[in-house]
Amino acid sequence: VSAAIVPGTIPFDRARSHVIFAKLQRGVALRTDRSFLWLMVVQYLAGIIAAIWISPRAWEGMSSHLHPHVIAAIILGGIVISLPVALAGLYPGERSTRHAMAAGQMLMSGLLIHLCGGRIETHFHIFGSLAFLSFYRDWRVLVTASAVVAIDHLVRGVFFPESIYGVLAAPWWRSFEHIGWVLFEDGFLFISIGQSVREMFSIAERQAALEFSHAGVERTVAERTSELTAEIAERRQTEHSLRLSEQRFRQLAETIPGVFWIKSPDLRDLLYVSPGYEQIWGHSCESVYEEPESCGECIIAEDRAAAEIGAVKAARGEPYETEYRIIRPDGNVRWISSRGFPAFDEVGKLARVVGFATDVTERKSLELKLLEAGRLETVGRLAGGIAHDFNTILTEVIGHAELIKDAASSAATKYQSGVAIERSATRAARLTQQLLAFSRKQMLCVENLDLNEVVLGLEPMLRGLLRKGIALRTTVQTRLPRVQADATQIQHMLVQLALNAQDAIPREGTLTIQTASMTVEAGLAPGDDTLPGEYVTITVSDTGAGISEEVMPRLFEPFFTTKPHGQGPGLGLSMCYGVAKQLGGNVTVRSKLGAGATFTIYLPSRDGKGSIPPAEVVKWAPNQPDKYATRNILLVETNPTLRDLTATVLRKRGYVVHEATDESDALKIASSLYSIDLLVADEVMPGTTRADLAKQLQASNPDLRILVTSDKLRDFETVSAALSGLTILQKPYTPALLCSKVLAALGNH
Amino acid sequence: VRSHKLLGVASLWLLLSCAGLAAMLHYEKTSGAPGDAPREWPAGSAIEPAGHTLILFAHPHCPCTRASIAALGQILAHAQGQVAAHVVFLQPASGPRDWVETDLWRSAQAIPGVDVRADLDGDEARRFHASTSGQTVLYAHGHLMFAGGITSGRGHFGDSAGGDITLALLSGASKAHARTPVYGCPLESKEP
Repeated sequence: VSAAIVPGTIPFDRARSHVIFAKLQRGVALRTDRSFLWLMVVQYLAGIIAAIWISPRAWEGMSSHLHPHVIAAIILGGIVISLPVALAGLYPGERSTRHAMAAGQMLMSGLLIHLCGGRIETHFHIFGSLAFLSFYRDWRVLVTASAVVAIDHLVRGVFFPESIYGVLAAPWWRSFEHIGWVLFEDGFLFISIGQSVREMFSIAERQAALEFSHAGVERTVAERTSELTAEIAERRQTEHSLRLSEQRFRQLAETIPGVFWIKSPDLRDLLYVSPGYEQIWGHSCESVYEEPESCGECIIAEDRAAAEIGAVKAARGEPYETEYRIIRPDGNVRWISSRGFPAFDEVGKLARVVGFATDVTERKSLELKLLEAGRLETVGRLAGGIAHDFNTILTEVIGHAELIKDAASSAATKYQSGVAIERSATRAARLTQQLLAFSRKQMLCVENLDLNEVVLGLEPMLRGLLRKGIALRTTVQTRLPRVQADATQIQHMLVQLALNAQDAIPREGTLTIQTASMTVEAGLAPGDDTLPGEYVTITVSDTGAGISEEVMPRLFEPFFTTKPHGQGPGLGLSMCYGVAKQLGGNVTVRSKLGAGATFTIYLPSRDGKGSIPPAEVVKWAPNQPDKYATRNILLVETNPTLRDLTATVLRKRGYVVHEATDESDALKIASSLYSIDLLVADEVMPGTTRADLAKQLQASNPDLRILVTSDKLRDFETVSAALSGLTILQKPYTPALLCSKVLAALGNH
Repeated sequence: VRSHKLLGVASLWLLLSCAGLAAMLHYEKTSGAPGDAPREWPAGSAIEPAGHTLILFAHPHCPCTRASIAALGQILAHAQGQVAAHVVFLQPASGPRDWVETDLWRSAQAIPGVDVRADLDGDEARRFHASTSGQTVLYAHGHLMFAGGITSGRGHFGDSAGGDITLALLSGASKAHARTPVYGCPLESKEP
């Protein structure tokens, strides 16, 4: 396709315009041929009619015969129209047809002029025919017709001038006069034909341009249709894939027991929740869509913090895993394990949070049972250990007591037995201290401590303690925050860990102690139970044999030991664990068999949090004069042996001691006395509590001092808040310690 | 091949057409028997001679004579009363009385100043030796000035040599005696 640009018009196909022009020309020729065909027939008939009407017969006197004009009209007219009519029928639209038509039409003019007697009016037939021939829009046709006229006039002008001009001898130019008039008309007709042809060509060009435009439009429509068809097919395929994907997703989400959910990045809008929600939560999915917060409202209050940790991590775009309990509408409590995962878009922005929650109530129940079973096993092992150690001690005590009671025993033997009994009792006391430490009920002398001082202060002693071949390295962090702790217990813990490390190092090795401060974040706590917060840590690591995976879970159990019999009861690590927990911290261990072990003690940092009051410092002064002698002391002790011993010790120091067995007895004695300076009471009193008694007595005597003897700390904070002038003495205690505490209590005005 | 055949057919067709037209022309230019009109006004004529007297002899049914009547009308229009004109129609004795009352009769009557009369059995025509319809004679004071046809062919309208001569004689432009061929139907049957 040869497209061309015509200035001021739209693009079109020039070759096509020529084809269209040729087609238009042929159409014109066809139509004109058809018109002339009918004209020829009509003229033929008109000639016959005219001949019959004008000159039907030729006469001779009274006789007549058919006029030759009628014969000529029929025969000659037939000859004249024969070729044009035949060509118009056989070859319509062809050039030869229209030239034959032109010649035939001029001959027909001649015939009709003859038939009409050469009337001048009939000559207009020639001019009319020329105009009619111009319908062909082909100037050559006019040339043919004019040529026929010219030849007729020239021939007749030469041979029969009178037949044309009515004179016998006409001048030569008369022929050209008639031809000139024909050419005169031809001139106008040529102009008209030229205009018509140009218009026709213009139409052809417009038609070609229109077709070109239509073709372009159709091509564009076809292309667009093809594109649309492809798009529709693609869209259908996508929809089909989406349906399949949706179906698969629904099968997954609705079949697996649990709750699949999708939330907005801020977790405010719930975008999807699977039907499992109704089964586990007991609420309809519609309700949680309408009020997404209703899901969180089902969580038990104390577990909401754990659930919120998950929300915080999700908002940061981190995966999380948390467990909490919910209360169903029927009152059932269910344990839920919830895992959330961030879903990012293509630019890495958090787009969704997706998650899966399952009902783990059965698992939790099983775990509790296992824990209970483990606890029972621990208690059994603890009871066995205590029984063994105490039986040994009691055997010693009973044996030596028998020796003292034996009258035959010498004084020296009795003294030695007393010393032995005192030593055994001291061992028993240490044993109970360790047990209390494990049970986190030990009396602690808590103070604001710089752990660096504790560690550095202990370093020389540890160097002396450790055997040769073990190198001690101490690294402390400068500007270490202070902690609230009992320095003695921390030292005990460090000694215990150091001795354990020494035992784990076969010959030579390195023991490293270092301090540091760190922040434990939610979800990243070391071990299972270190709460998030600011901590100061002491890390004790060795290059010893390490701890096996079998031993690791039981490491902090009391009376669990891997050492040979007789090298300790197995309470060291349990004591460390108990003390750390009591101080709000934790002990964790990392180890690999053959790669040493690292114990880390976590103690809460107190910087910026307001320190607790300094712990009471017990000072023992064995030869202190009893400056408060003769003061009234009301002694309330359930145990008669201990009551007698305590009363005897205090009376020996000059105090006036009034003994009472229980609360009612104590109240009775108190009411009979003028005043009581000090109440020494056992913590455990049947029927009432020491707090109630102390309150009653202090109500009437606000200056009353109180000394509570206790084997373990119970409700310490409650009592401290309710009473004033309170001093506590931990069992077991020596007479000297008792006196020291009494002096301290009485002096605490 | 087709164009050659077409050319041959077209040539034949043109030849036949031209031959036909030539035959027609030949028929048109074939004059009737020349009537030798008497040089002096014949005696016994029913028509009274005047200064210039013009007589047209006509067959009432001859289609060629229509052109002669028309040419007479044009001559008289130019002569403007300088001539006494007569149109004499053949009236066969055996024919019906209205045989002459044709459109030609009525056309002749329509020309102002023309005397139209029937020539019973062709007596008048014979006096003037007229044998062909359209024969025209012009006498000036009884002397023959012109005899012949006033059309250029059979039934041919328009200018003719006879018409031009007649007008020239009537206007005095010419004094010469002249004759022209007569185109029309024979006034009498050619009896064997």
